[in-house]
Amino acid sequence: MKRWARELGPVAGAITLALGVGAIVTALTGYSVPAVFKQLALGAFGDWYQLAQTLTQATPILFTSLSFLIAFRAGLFNIGAEGQLYLGAFFAAWAGFTFKLPPVIHPIVCLLFGAAAGAVWGFIPGWLRAKRGANEFVTTMMLSYVAIYLTSWLVAPGGPYHGTQWANQTVRIATTAQFPRLLRGAQLSWGIIVGVLIAFIVWYLLFRTPRGYELRAVGQNPLAAEYGGINVTRNMILALTLAGALAGLGGAVEILGTHRRFIELFSPGYGWDGIAGGLIARAHPLGAILAAILMGALRAGGQAIDRAGVAPADLAAVIQGLVIFFVVAPELIRYFRRLVPRRARLGDTEL
Amino acid sequence: MEILNFNLFISALRLATPIALVALGETYSERAGVINVGVEGIALAGALSCAIVAYFSGSPALALIAAVAVGAALGALHAIWTVYLRADQVVSGTAINLLVMGFALFLTRVIWGWRGTSPSAPTMNAWILVGVGLFLIALSQVYIFHTPWGLRLRVVGEHPRAADTAGINVYRTRLFYTVLNGALCGLAGAFLFNNLGRFTDGMVGGRGFIGIAAMVVGNYRPLPALAAAYLFGFVDALQMRLQDYIPSQFSLMLPYILTVIVLAGFLGKAQVPKALGKPYIKEQG
Repeated sequence: MKRWARELGPVAGAITLALGVGAIVTALTGYSVPAVFKQLALGAFGDWYQLAQTLTQATPILFTSLSFLIAFRAGLFNIGAEGQLYLGAFFAAWAGFTFKLPPVIHPIVCLLFGAAAGAVWGFIPGWLRAKRGANEFVTTMMLSYVAIYLTSWLVAPGGPYHGTQWANQTVRIATTAQFPRLLRGAQLSWGIIVGVLIAFIVWYLLFRTPRGYELRAVGQNPLAAEYGGINVTRNMILALTLAGALAGLGGAVEILGTHRRFIELFSPGYGWDGIAGGLIARAHPLGAILAAILMGALRAGGQAIDRAGVAPADLAAVIQGLVIFFVVAPELIRYFRRLVPRRARLGDTEL
Repeated sequence: MEILNFNLFISALRLATPIALVALGETYSERAGVINVGVEGIALAGALSCAIVAYFSGSPALALIAAVAVGAALGALHAIWTVYLRADQVVSGTAINLLVMGFALFLTRVIWGWRGTSPSAPTMNAWILVGVGLFLIALSQVYIFHTPWGLRLRVVGEHPRAADTAGINVYRTRLFYTVLNGALCGLAGAFLFNNLGRFTDGMVGGRGFIGIAAMVVGNYRPLPALAAAYLFGFVDALQMRLQDYIPSQFSLMLPYILTVIVLAGFLGKAQVPKALGKPYIKEQG
């Protein structure tokens, strides 16, 4: 329990600090702070439907968070989850409308296609980093653009999978491939359960298997790992391949559970939210569940403040940016903690 | 082919400018030991502040100053986070990127009511900024390698302990060059705004990251980095002309694919500053 508190304490501090600065930004831009924060809370957790909205948005973010953190644990930066997510989504949709398979097996096949497509898009920068020394945070980002343009072309007019006339999207996937919804009238699907399951698998892999130990050793000190007989090259490639697969799975889940077809530019930035989620979780797979719910809550809450007309939805994106900013400087929180007792002591002497 | 004409080489120079400015800024900060992957976001912030000030004041010159100032401020933020609070440099830079993206969407909505875009605003001739960029790059080549200040900069990135012993303030040097990096990225953003005449949230479009790639390929030297940036600018100019011949999605991919190929082909030979990415702790004996 104590270890939990130590891990969560600074993050809670950072979130509080970010909400505080967010309130200042809200006030400075002329919006009502109480109205905004009320709508933010109601929109995120107000009733079952809103909670379902939060969890729906949290689902793909959980996968991209896991994607970011598994690479991060191996000392690598996967900035390209957005593109991996798109590729995974497209190939899952493709498997969804192409194959004729029984229920249960069909979605599993779709997930495997999505994961495989994402894995390829992670393997390439992994291989380039390990064998050629190419900066993975540049190459993952560059390949992300390539993937997004590629999937856009596939469903654009003139592209091979332009499925409907009125929009750039594929045809619907078969009903056998769809994830059942969990709540009537809401988009929340089995995807969230798959996500939590995968989070536990990633946790087990990282902290309970020799392979995970090797990945983390490479992340902590590649030279020492190499000296200890760990194949650094192979582990780097593996980490980014797994990162790609996780982001691809996220895209697949989003298609099977939420959209039921591939739509051009469907992601509002879930790949980016994953970077935030992974960092806020302090790269812990189970923490990522909480971090993804926080990100999902900010998105759902943001939409609610927009609907209620009290402020633009993107205020939530500002708060998200601030949270990450305060989370990534643990020294900052430590600095504040040092300030507080000192002030208290000063108060004592005055009395 | 009619697309390979003189105009192509001219517009390549124009499109190379923001990439070259980012590469120059990153050369300074990485020479001092500070990686800043937030250059993408800082350039976006520069473009946004340029658009806001140009829109309300009507003065492109004032807008330019604002862009550089905002860039410098974000550079300072990165320096405080990484040099003084010892946050991971890539993580802090990534946080800057996400923070600016959030603010860009929010502020455009607040100010103009449009998500992620501005109306057109007064601009200056972007060629002036191309000239300024070329001048700064030439000047920096001399500054970094042929002046005592340049030597101090390099030693801080190579061997901060030795620099400290010789009386150079490592923290302040890193702060200064990270701020300079931010200012140059702000200038890159100002160029992008003046080039297009308005702000859009996708206008940097990975050019910050491509700028980092240009710096790496240029081996942490301003003039070779300019050559690399010109290559990227050339492909960018070429892809616009290719859109008549192939689906636009494929031509738009070209600069990004080129970046990956070039990074894969050139790296490994680069002489990375030895203390790059490592926070300096003065107390350690």
